[in-house]
Order: sequence, then structure tokens, then C-alpha cells
Amino acid sequence: MTPEDFDRSSVTEAVVSTRTRPSIVWLIPLVAALVGGFVAWRTYSQLGPLIELDFESAEGLEAGKTEIKYKDVDVGVVETIRLKADLSGVVCTARMVKGAEDYLRDGTRFWVVRARVAGGQVSGLGTLFSGAYIGVDPVREGKRMRQFHGLEVPPIVTSDQPGRTFVLHSHRAGSIDVGTPVFFRKIRVGEVVSSELDPSDEFVTVQVFVHAPHDLRVHRDTRFWNASGVHVSMNSQGVEVNVESAVSLLIGGIAFETPIGESSEPAAEEGSPFELYANRDATEREVYTIKSYYQLYFDQSVRGLNIGAPVEFRGIQIGEVRDVKLEFDAKTGQFRVPVLVGIEPERIGNLGGADPAARRTALERLVQLGLRAQLASGNLLTGQLLVELDMHPGSPPAQMVWSEPYAQFPTIPTSLEEITSSVTRLAKQLGNLPFEQIASSVDETLKTARAALAQADRTMAAATALVGPDSPANSELRQTLLELSDAARSIGLAADQIQRQPNSLIFGKEANQ
Amino acid sequence: MTGAAPGTALAASCAVCHDCGLLSRLRGHAAARCSRCGAGLHARKPRSLERTWAFVIAACLCYLPANLLPIMRVTSLGRGEADTILSGVEYLLTHGMWPLALVVFTASIFVPILKITILVSLLVSVQRRSSWRPRERTRMYRLTEAIGRWSMVDIFVVTILVALVRLGNLATVEAMPGAVFFGAVVVLTMLAAESFDPRLIWDRSEARGI
Repeated sequence: MTPEDFDRSSVTEAVVSTRTRPSIVWLIPLVAALVGGFVAWRTYSQLGPLIELDFESAEGLEAGKTEIKYKDVDVGVVETIRLKADLSGVVCTARMVKGAEDYLRDGTRFWVVRARVAGGQVSGLGTLFSGAYIGVDPVREGKRMRQFHGLEVPPIVTSDQPGRTFVLHSHRAGSIDVGTPVFFRKIRVGEVVSSELDPSDEFVTVQVFVHAPHDLRVHRDTRFWNASGVHVSMNSQGVEVNVESAVSLLIGGIAFETPIGESSEPAAEEGSPFELYANRDATEREVYTIKSYYQLYFDQSVRGLNIGAPVEFRGIQIGEVRDVKLEFDAKTGQFRVPVLVGIEPERIGNLGGADPAARRTALERLVQLGLRAQLASGNLLTGQLLVELDMHPGSPPAQMVWSEPYAQFPTIPTSLEEITSSVTRLAKQLGNLPFEQIASSVDETLKTARAALAQADRTMAAATALVGPDSPANSELRQTLLELSDAARSIGLAADQIQRQPNSLIFGKEANQ
Repeated sequence: MTGAAPGTALAASCAVCHDCGLLSRLRGHAAARCSRCGAGLHARKPRSLERTWAFVIAACLCYLPANLLPIMRVTSLGRGEADTILSGVEYLLTHGMWPLALVVFTASIFVPILKITILVSLLVSVQRRSSWRPRERTRMYRLTEAIGRWSMVDIFVVTILVALVRLGNLATVEAMPGAVFFGAVVVLTMLAAESFDPRLIWDRSEARGI
């Protein structure tokens, strides 16, 4: 049978399935979609929060390139930089990494890290090559924020550094600035964090940060002083020059020390206030915390009495003059000078100490006993005056006047003034003497005296005549003396005889002898 | 293969071997083999449209991350900088090297888009049985095939830089995920062009009535 004979129509058609399975090639777009989707998801899920940072200038910052780093780890990147609407600065938007939300709080600080020389330290040298980056000091507590104000200078102390901040008050900032080192026994243990004027304008508030573990060396009785520059002091032992360190010579410094034997006090708490003394000597001098103020009224000139002049008791300083004014008393029509003095009662032992009531009683008793204030010359060359307190038992009675705001302390005039016044008094009395009467009576007296003298002259002449060399009295006297001489000789002979022959006194002179 | 145009090999139940070019007669639907070299014989590439579509879609999917992700990262003196293709072009342009920018833009952005567009338009036109200008469409296909191998310029640059610039802290170049996706786009478009059978363009127009 040939194929041509085969009847095709008699054979049933095979069913051809048109349904085909999808080709395996579709796995490729599937894998591409999966990988692409995964990458997209990962990229998106790693996007952190978008934040805004204000800076004064965008120096060194580049959109899309400048990184935000913490401990040299990238935590974000600046995306855009634009000017503020009022042209006062720039606003950077930055994309932080995921998880950054936790430390974007209101206390978090941002600053631009550039190469800078400040506070005796060179920092950010690496940015000379790599370009500036933005530093961050993360804080975990506080309100969550998305907008931050960037600092122009890096903070001296970041929140992760262990240590404590203390507040110092000073009348002058001296050469203290942010970054000025703090020394303890000439070792650098901290820095000045801020230095600003108090709102009252009366003193400067300096915040210092002392690193751990040195912060435990700050006790409640620790004293801080300004160790800037060179301190030259001259005393009986010679000249002493003191420099805290070469660094402090250039950029200033603050040093602190705790008085020996008193460091049993607990360590000072964070933010404790301290006084910043002008130099180290001042810390040793001004150890008295209580100051009581008294008003002294002087009626005399106070030329040479400066504010700050010492108040002494028998040569020991117990306080200083705080203010000198001039007052007119309308009632008496007199001028008087109120001098305000600050006394440190702790300098005087057993004077009631810290108890004000006890001090008051003690002071009243002392005034009764004659305690008075007077001006004394401190320096004869310059005419500087000081206020001297001393016991003047003979002075007119006076009392303390407990008036507000300051108690009045009785005064007596100066010794010099006292002499002047007594001389004046004497002169006045002299002036009151009846010189004319005295003169006339003196005249009369002189006349009488002259007569008396003539009388005496005459008497003397008579006396001369009576006892003169040719007078009978004289020759008689000579005769008498000769006879007396003979008599004496006879007595001498008799005495010799008696000595040789004592019995001759009874038996008479022996002839054979 | 219902409407085979007369005068073609397909109409005569013949097929040319892709490998050695021997013309053989086909019998039925069975998997035919070339009697000379043993390669599989088929009148048209099997499932050409489906495979091409798959590759084109995969290329499109890879094209997005290839352009959005950084292609390489240059770290010089401690400062790292990641660049995408577009930011690299922008960098070249802002630094006055516009001829180079033009080359990179053409090779890396324009050509892949062109290839994908041509392939998609060919696929759509074949599926819609369009007989519109088959000669031009074939020329477009040839262009796609020809430029495919030149699209790897970026990948070459990145690989050479990564190998050459190893100066430690001074300068380092790293390849980034974008390069992988870009390479994938190039490979996938080449595969798509390969799997497309240009004879399909002519099948339709000749079936219409020459």
C-alpha cells in the first residue's frame, strides 16, 4: 500500500492542544522585578528623617555631598542648601539615616566642623583635605524636633563626655573666653564652656566644664581663681613670679584648689555656683563669707579715703570701705560724710560668730566700753586714709544706731584733729586772759620790787661794814681763833700723855719720864 | 504558522539551519534536527515574541535602579562621593568636559532607552500584524543588534577604575549596585534583540498580499 492510496479522510484528526505553558524565560523579568523591588524597599526603608538646619553661612557645605557625622560615622547627608527668605543665613535640609529619630531632640546640637585654632587647640585638620562636615551632639532626652539651629563654633563639651559643669561668678572676665583651660595643680582638667554677662550687669557668669574624674576634686569649699597671665607678688621674702602654664600665659586660664584639711566636704553638685577670685592670693584672703555693713558719719575731710581702704582694728584688717558719700543735713545745716564699711565679723574671734543677734549684743557692749571708729593716716607719703577701730575708754558716750539699711557706728575725730582742736581751745582761753590788768599789776609789782632791792642794797652795805677786814669784829675773831688753836694743841698733848701713861690721868705726870 | 506567505521557505515546508545554513525539509511538528550539524530546526524562532517581551520587561525593570542607584563611589583623601550615571554626566558638564559628557550620556542613557523603545515598538507592530514599512523596521532591528555590544562602556570604565585606583587612603574607587543593574540592562536588551525573529516582520506584510 502506497501512501497515495491512503484515504486521509477516514482518519480522525488529532486534537492539537493550543494551550502552552508559559516559557521559563519569564523567570528573568520576575527575578528582575524581585531584585529591583528589594533594592527599592531597602533604599526606602533606610531613609531616615529629613531635618532642617540653620547656619549663618554655608562655608564649606555642599549640597548632596556634605555629610553629618557623629564620632566619624556618617549619620546623614546634606541634600539642599538655600538662602533664608530674609537673607540672614542659610537653611540646609539633610537626610538622616534610619534610627536617627531617637536622638533628634531639642537639645541636639549641630555645627560645622572646619579646621580651626581656638582655645590653644587645633581641631578639624582632617577637614582641610576632606572638606567640612557637620558634627552632631546627639541627645536622647527632650522633645522630638526636625528643625535645628546650627552652632557657629563647635561646642567645647559634648553630651557624651563625662564630667560636670560649674558656674563661676566674677566681677571681670579678665582674659577668660570660651575654651580657656581649667587647671588643677597645673594639670589641664577642663575648659570654659561659656562666658557671659549676668542680666544684672554686675558680674560675669563663667561656666566651666571639669572632665571626669577630676570633677570629683571640686568640693563645696573649693576656690576658683583666674590664673591668666603672670602673677607677680612682692613680699618680705622677695619677688615671686607665678605662671600657671605657658598656655594660660597666652590664652588665660582658671585654676582651682580645695583648702587642705577641709576636703572632707562632699563633691560639689552639677551646676554649683562658685566665686571666681582675681588671683590665688585673693582666695586665701577672702575666706570670710559673712559681711556686715555699717555706716560711719564723719564731720571732717575724708580726703585720701578711697573705696577699698582697709578697716583695721589695732593694725589688723577686719574689713574695707565700700562707699563714701556726702550728705547735707537740712536740720542742722551741716555737711557730713557717711562712709559705708563692710566688716567681716568672722575675722574677730569670739565676736558672736555667725549669729547676728549675738554679734549685735557684743557690738553694743563694745561700744559702751568705748569702741569707736576714727580716720587714721595709712600712708604719710600719699596721704591715704584708713578707718581704724579702737577702744577709747575716755571718749564721750555713744551708742549703736540700728537704722535701716545700715546700722550707724559711733565715730570720734582723728587724733590729729583732736590735737588741733585742743590747741585751738587753748588759744581761745589765752585770748580770754585780762592782759591789761596783768600788765598794770606787773608794773606795780616791779616798782615795789625796785624799792625792795634798794633796801637790800643798803642792808648789804651795812653788813659789809660790820664784818669787813678792818672791823673790830674781824680782829676779835682772829684773836679768838688763835686762842682756840692753842687750846687745841694743849688738848693734843694731853691726849698723847694719856695714851702713853693712862694712869697719869689719876696719878699725875711722872717726873722721871 | 497558518498564513504562510507563498514563496517563502515556510510555505514550502522548509527551514534553514541557524548554525550551518543547510536547507532542510520539515515534516510535521516534531522537533526536527539538521541532518548535517545536528542543531534544532525551526522555521521561525520558537516563542520569539514571548521571550523578547520577557527580556524587554526585565530590562525595563532593571533600568530604573540602574539610573537611580549610584554606579560607583570615589573616595579620595577620606572624602567619599557616590555618583549615579546622571550625576556623573552633570559633573562632566559643569566642569566643561562636554564632549565626554555627550559620550557618556549617549552610551549610558540614550542608547539603552533607544534599544528598549525599538524593541517594544517592533514587538507591538508584529503583534498587531502591522505591515507598515517593514524595511525600515528591519533596519531598526539591525541597528539594535549592532549597538548592543557598545553599551557596556560604563561598565568597562568602572571595572578598570576599580582595578587601577587602589591607593588606600589617597583614592579608592568602588563599584556600587547601580553598575550591576546597568550591566543587567545591557545584557537583557542584547538577549531580547537576539530572541526576536525579524522574519516575523515580513511574515505579516507578505501574508497581506504580495
